[in-house]
Amino acid sequence: MGYFCTYVPEEILYAAGVLTVRILGSHEPQDVTEPHIFAMFCPFCRDCLAQGLKNRYTYLDGLMIAQSCLHIRQAYTSWIKHRPVEFEKFLCMPHKVQSPHAYEYLTDELRIFKKEVEDWTGKKISESDLEKAIDTYNENRRLMKQLYNLRKRDNPPITGEEVMEVVMAMQMTDKEEHNKLLKQLLKNLENYTPDRAVGSRLMILGSEDDDTVFMNMVENCGATFVIDDHCTGSRYFWNEVETGKDQVAQIAARYIDRIPCPTKDWEERKRIPHILNLCKDWNVNGVIIMQQKFCDPHELDYVAIQKALDDTGIPTLFLEFDVTVPIGQFKIRVEAFLEMIGEDDLF
Amino acid sequence: MADKPEYWRWTESRWTNPGLDWKGKVITAGVDVGSVSSQAVILADVELYAYANMRTGSDSPDSAMKAMNWAMKDTNLTIPDLAYTVGTGYGRVNVPFSQRAITEIACHARGGNFMYGPTIRTILDMGGQDCKAIHCDERGKVTKFLMNDKCAAGTGRGMEVFADLLGVSINDVGDLSFDIDKEPQPVSSTCVVYAKTEATGLLREGWPKNKVLAAYCSAMAHRIMTLLERIGVEEDFAITGGIAKNKGVVKRLEKEVSIKIIKTSKYDPQIAGALGAALFAKALYDKGKK
Repeated sequence: MGYFCTYVPEEILYAAGVLTVRILGSHEPQDVTEPHIFAMFCPFCRDCLAQGLKNRYTYLDGLMIAQSCLHIRQAYTSWIKHRPVEFEKFLCMPHKVQSPHAYEYLTDELRIFKKEVEDWTGKKISESDLEKAIDTYNENRRLMKQLYNLRKRDNPPITGEEVMEVVMAMQMTDKEEHNKLLKQLLKNLENYTPDRAVGSRLMILGSEDDDTVFMNMVENCGATFVIDDHCTGSRYFWNEVETGKDQVAQIAARYIDRIPCPTKDWEERKRIPHILNLCKDWNVNGVIIMQQKFCDPHELDYVAIQKALDDTGIPTLFLEFDVTVPIGQFKIRVEAFLEMIGEDDLF
Repeated sequence: MADKPEYWRWTESRWTNPGLDWKGKVITAGVDVGSVSSQAVILADVELYAYANMRTGSDSPDSAMKAMNWAMKDTNLTIPDLAYTVGTGYGRVNVPFSQRAITEIACHARGGNFMYGPTIRTILDMGGQDCKAIHCDERGKVTKFLMNDKCAAGTGRGMEVFADLLGVSINDVGDLSFDIDKEPQPVSSTCVVYAKTEATGLLREGWPKNKVLAAYCSAMAHRIMTLLERIGVEEDFAITGGIAKNKGVVKRLEKEVSIKIIKTSKYDPQIAGALGAALFAKALYDKGKK
């Protein structure tokens, strides 16, 4: 099952024996989406749709999305229209997660969804199936957080680029398998001190971001990414499902209470105190705010986030992604930013 | 075609400090290889000794070398005399005889600080293919900066294209753009390609050349203003880079910002980046010695 957004309750699918795969782009220029979605929709949703239209996900039996932003929803709609799948689902994830009614609403939606998955797979999802799925997912999240905690060290044993690879693998691997690999990785890193200069400790935050080329470029300019707030990064796994009588309600609560995507972080911007805490706990010197071009929800949050960081004395650099990264143009901005926040060796 | 006048060709410049003997002093240098122009600056101890400012060729290392050789011309200096050299600009990693590369953002702030004094807080570098608004402290250290979008609209190269289109020497664009009856509306786009199309249309409508130049200078000033508005302008405010020499843009910008633009430097404003690089070279040389 391919899925488009991190609001998809994977636990229910996993409990039914369905393997979930996050749909991502390829970072290649393409010319197949133009007739289907607007050129001023974000590059990520165009890149994702291109993968479908170019038949790169033909192994999928199903495709789904949970309501988040309109651009990615259009990519989903266009995909299922032109490349139909056996099981398709638009999950009506509420926008106003801060409403007290959101829990009940989503719980009901998830019950309907669970039934649909059962009908599709012909397999009844038992309580113990759900429990096992929740445990596996929670363990995965906990292990990932342990990995992130290692990055609090003065000399983090893993780079931001490497973590990005791990967190991406997490979104397209069987969680049980990923847990095994993560445990091994944590063991290997426990006493590992890399022989590289850490430089400035950076946070990267913003929209979807799986651009390892950019991470690599920055980390070769005298900096290390120690933490992120991306939906392909920490936002994906930060919160666990709590245990309780009604498993479906607990799953719903997890998705309502999780670190929000900017499409849902309203009316209070709850992501801002979270970002400030991350900066403090991971001892961040500067923040790169990275968003997909034309991403309205992130653009609307940018000003508030930038101000909050500025008030705390943390410098920021704002950059916009396109399908391909203009590495030279980004490099000058990144280097100047690092020179600005770095030590005064030039004066 | 060989005889076609090259209206875009701005005046290259070279200068040596006449009252200074470099012998026995620490010689450091900065080389700024930009997309359109290249500069080399030589310091003797902390004094400006010589500089050269010329057009960038297709090969960055070669352009760096040419600029440096021109700056050294008739001084008896040779490359081995350079104690420390810093490269900057878009070809900063391709300066063959340099020990370090530093961004032109840091260098323009440092160079602007030297040229216009420590009270400078905002520097606008208007270069060949980009534009940077920089805030700095009293040492010339960057505190904040903003670059134009990835597109090179409204930069020096655009002005060159316009000079060529209208058959006006680029050195005269500023003056001619004020030789008009009434200030026209700016052209609606600073994109070089669109603006060219628009200008061709205006000429066909019978607009005199000067009025078209005024409309383009005004559009450029307007575009720079939107960049400045995002970062804010703190006094004192100075401009570096080639466009600093174009009155047509500078005066119109001054009117929009309503802040006086400092123009009291005796040096070519295009050397600010290379000058900053040379000053960093001196600081790095001194630190290395300790």
